[in-house]
Amino acid sequence: MSKAGYENPENYSNRELSWLLFNKRVLSEARDKNNPLFERLKFLSITASNLDEFFMVRVASLKDMVNAGYTKPDIAGMTPTEQLLALNEATHDLVDKQYLVYNRSIIPQLKTNGLRVVAHHEDLTEKEAAYVDEYYEENVYPVLTPMAVDSSRPFPLIRNKTLNIGALVRKKDGKGELEFATVQVPSVLSRIVEIHTKNPSGNTQEKAVILLEEVIERNIHKLFLNYDIVCAHPFRIMRNADLSIEEDEAEDLLKEIEKQLKKRQWGQAIRLEVEEGIDKKLLKILVEDLHVRQEDIYRIDGPLDLTFLMKMYGLPGFDHLKEKAYAGPQPVPELPADCNIFEQIRKEDLLLFHPYESFGPVVEFIRQAAGDPDVLAIKQTLYRVSGNSPIIAALAQAAENGKQVSVLVELKARFDEENNIVWAKKLEKAGCHVIYGLVGLKTHSKITLVVRREEDGIRRYVHLGTGNYNDATAKLYTDVGLFTCASYIGEDATAVFNMLSGYSEPLSWNKLSLAPLWLKDRFLFLIGREKENALAGKEGHIIAKINSLCDKDVIEALYEAGAAGVKIELIIRGICCLKTGLPGIGENITVRSIVGNFLEHSRIFYFENGGKPEYYCASADWMPRNLERRVEIMFPIDRPELQKKLMTILQMQLRDTVKAHILTPSGAYEKVDKRGKGYFNSQLEFCNMAVQAAKKQELLVNSRVFIPEMHHE
Amino acid sequence: MSVKTFAAIDIGSYELAMKIFEVSKVRGMREIDHVRHGIDMGTETYTKGKLSHERVGELCRVLREFADIMKSYQVEDYVAYGTSAIRESENRSILLNQIALRTGIQINVLSNSEQRFLDYKSIAFQGEGFLKIIESGTAILDIGGGSIQISLFDNDTLVSTQNMKLGVLRIQEHLNQLGVSIRHYDRLVEEMLAPQMNVYKKLYLKDRQIKSIIIVDDYISTLVKHKMNDGVANGFVDKKKMEYFLEICHTKTLTELAKALDTPEENMPHLFIALKLVKSIMDDMGAEQLWVPGVTLCDGIAYEYAEKNKIITSTHDFEKDIVACAQNISKRYRGSKKRSETLEKIALTIFDSMKKVHGLGRRERLLLQISTILHDCGKYISMVNLGECSYSIIMATEIIGLSHMEREIVANVVKYNHLEFDYDEESGSLSTLDEDSYLKIAKLTAILRMANGLDRTHKQKFRNVKIALKEDELFITVDTEADITLEKGLFGARADFFQEVYHVRPVIRKKRIP
Repeated sequence: MSKAGYENPENYSNRELSWLLFNKRVLSEARDKNNPLFERLKFLSITASNLDEFFMVRVASLKDMVNAGYTKPDIAGMTPTEQLLALNEATHDLVDKQYLVYNRSIIPQLKTNGLRVVAHHEDLTEKEAAYVDEYYEENVYPVLTPMAVDSSRPFPLIRNKTLNIGALVRKKDGKGELEFATVQVPSVLSRIVEIHTKNPSGNTQEKAVILLEEVIERNIHKLFLNYDIVCAHPFRIMRNADLSIEEDEAEDLLKEIEKQLKKRQWGQAIRLEVEEGIDKKLLKILVEDLHVRQEDIYRIDGPLDLTFLMKMYGLPGFDHLKEKAYAGPQPVPELPADCNIFEQIRKEDLLLFHPYESFGPVVEFIRQAAGDPDVLAIKQTLYRVSGNSPIIAALAQAAENGKQVSVLVELKARFDEENNIVWAKKLEKAGCHVIYGLVGLKTHSKITLVVRREEDGIRRYVHLGTGNYNDATAKLYTDVGLFTCASYIGEDATAVFNMLSGYSEPLSWNKLSLAPLWLKDRFLFLIGREKENALAGKEGHIIAKINSLCDKDVIEALYEAGAAGVKIELIIRGICCLKTGLPGIGENITVRSIVGNFLEHSRIFYFENGGKPEYYCASADWMPRNLERRVEIMFPIDRPELQKKLMTILQMQLRDTVKAHILTPSGAYEKVDKRGKGYFNSQLEFCNMAVQAAKKQELLVNSRVFIPEMHHE
Repeated sequence: MSVKTFAAIDIGSYELAMKIFEVSKVRGMREIDHVRHGIDMGTETYTKGKLSHERVGELCRVLREFADIMKSYQVEDYVAYGTSAIRESENRSILLNQIALRTGIQINVLSNSEQRFLDYKSIAFQGEGFLKIIESGTAILDIGGGSIQISLFDNDTLVSTQNMKLGVLRIQEHLNQLGVSIRHYDRLVEEMLAPQMNVYKKLYLKDRQIKSIIIVDDYISTLVKHKMNDGVANGFVDKKKMEYFLEICHTKTLTELAKALDTPEENMPHLFIALKLVKSIMDDMGAEQLWVPGVTLCDGIAYEYAEKNKIITSTHDFEKDIVACAQNISKRYRGSKKRSETLEKIALTIFDSMKKVHGLGRRERLLLQISTILHDCGKYISMVNLGECSYSIIMATEIIGLSHMEREIVANVVKYNHLEFDYDEESGSLSTLDEDSYLKIAKLTAILRMANGLDRTHKQKFRNVKIALKEDELFITVDTEADITLEKGLFGARADFFQEVYHVRPVIRKKRIP
């Protein structure tokens, strides 16, 4: 097929719809009876928070486009209006499914397992009701701020993402008009109220909980003493209040929006969630005053905002309903506790696979560097770090110890800005040189450079990763990281930091490829080379494990390679705008998505290269924003043992029959057909492997037989 | 630990660069870091004569950062050199002092020939590749912001070097003033270059066969490293590849080109001019290939440092180049080779035997040698004003490898070989020199005069001469049967000056023939 053939928008999926499919896959984990019940709560909660973020960022952005009169079609040929329309349908469908899972399986299952969720306050027993009312008086009432609306009081500001109870009230003294009143469900209180009563049935095992909004609803008449409550229902809105314009969007859009700034409706409500069966008059008031479109109303069959389920996961007493199969992060055999990390890295490059292998050595690397008298400088990029980051503490310590510490802190990291500023200031105070991001670019690369003065001159130790330097998420995200002191990487790392400090790019790079300057071309080259090889009759093979694929140039290159006969196996957790089964390509390109206990986050690339395979890891996905508007790094893995480790990771993921979904030519994701393949959960296997490796090392250390060293370094 | 950390700083006309090196006897030179900051100082200096306030501020800010980087590597020593943008600025002393006070970095200004010599050194230190290439006819084309420099090799020795004010920034400045688009650069660069190249070919290149051109610059080097080098080893580029690249430059838009070459778009005009210059010169010389070793001035600075501190030694003899250059100049002005050789022999013999007295070193010996080679070049213009004319010729001719001050010493030594020495340190012609240089001139002049006197008749009677220093007397023993009455007679005045300078009385003796 000619190149032009694949340019057709029909050959691409819309990224937003593809994202919704991803959220559906997460939802399928919530539905999966093989998962422990409380894990299913968690997955359901994640689908809800995912969807919230999706609205705030993506839907808001599309609304902006529509408001700005921007009509340029996306990769799949859909205009923003068309996308919104399609999304609307798909989102409603997703929400319906969420509540189906909640009502049909989660709630009954919880009850069977001794946790009764009282859906409506009307269902409370007398004793329970008494307890709840007392709880209300003591804890809730003092923090409520009821607001009524009449001619003298305007419609109050309903804050983004908050849960509220709207009510229609009427003055007690007569036949006055219906008035609207609202009260925010306070976010300072726990959404879940445990009902502590002695159970009359004698079943002490059962625990009962009720949601805070039900407690308030039950007592709402106490807020409006001179009124009769005609009806009261919870509601929640999402606003387009994001002041920053999404980096993903085209530059011409930014110009367009700038021009039409006045047209943009700040704080426009883009989603209204209401309880199903809400009073019609009440809904009408909300819709009119909040200017919500009909299609943006979501009638919810159950409690609004399911993110409370994450809190429910934390309720004590249900550990037996949580995941136990996955072992925690294991010690890295090559980096035993108390070892000198620099010494170990000098022996050989090391590749760590988190969270199966502990993130501890990475923290330790910086900690040791901070205290090492031979270390001259530490340089690091930080994107998102944990609240009480040991890395930040080590960096500050290093600066206090007189080392030159440069840190690039990315302030543009979404939702984390405030947090980032706080500790960036802390670092500055300690004497670190802090760079607050680059103009127009987000620094997404994860790289650390330690410059050490040794016997025979300066040696540079580099850590390159696919995940953030965040010790908390490193326990939940799968990522790989490389430790090396190879001089060619060290030179490149120095050049990276020179560039980040505002100096010119180096005359040449040894091994690293950087976005936004060269990375995309590099990928296109690598994919193109496979195509050429396939055309020349050699074997062409690409395996890519990424989080998202939506860059058109990359997809086009993949299509062409696939058409030329290259075997392309893609493991893509989230968005995938590529379609499978296109004519001329058929099964040459396969896409699978793994959604499991850990969030798949590593980016690993394999290129056959005519029998001389090349392996890479990167901080970037195949998305335009990664390749064009971010500073990203791709690094090769050259050592054969490490290549083997990467290949094992890739192959095990390709073998997964439990947590993998396959993208079908129809555009849907389906679970792998297990027939003849057996049960294989790659994440679980990775855990087991790490445990075994750590055990073997432990045996070695604790062995009473001395093992003579046969080589001397 | 025998590893030294050294920083080389280049304050160029469009870029500030610093390289950090580790220098050790065992491992040689190892580049640790290379930091570059683009800053257009050339345009301001070339058009307005000095740098603007803002530019100086930027310069100081970056230099302060450089100082911090040096500190972080615990750099033990550094050398910072300014080139044409600093050299040509009217208020350079004020500027340099201000920079030193504000940044703590002491900048020395390189004369053009010193700068080119450092570039040349960094090429020569490439070792094997370099030695091999200069076996056949080779030219070095050093493209800077302000000017270009063409140096020629004969066999394996550098014999001439010429500077033309056709630097990339300067050309672009001209073209900007003409307000032409980049499409016309091709023709205009050609037209600017052609007249100068014609003269150059007639006077210097003559019938030399040039096979290879070694390129020193920033733009083409980057290009070659990035793009041109696929399949071509070690920076060699043939004619076809050059043509291909110019072709691309013609057919693509600037934006496309910048993307294709991984070069910032604003650099494209510079690259284009550089490519055009190289291509024209390549055609003019009939060269077949380019060698782009990708060296920078910083490398040269570091090599010079390592050589000076006896950490590394080059396989190439640079003094031979300097001598060859001087001989070439002498040849151009019809100097007598034979007489020069005699003079050189006598002068150097005196110099060597006087070591204890004059306290001068190897470098001064070289200056003396060059003075003997150039001692009579002014004759070409006037036999009467020999001293003045020689002085002018030497001052106007670049001798690669000599600093400006060294050239001035040579020129003065040659001058006062013929003229009365100018003692006036307050307002005489030597009053602009520092005391050290003034003394060197006096000392070397005294020796050259002596040598000249001994060969007064140009008959090389004193070819075999033995010289011995005995307390306050310098015995010059001649092994000749020729009559040396004239020499002895004219000797007096010269001996007086010699005695005045060294407090040693020269005495001529004729070896008795048995």
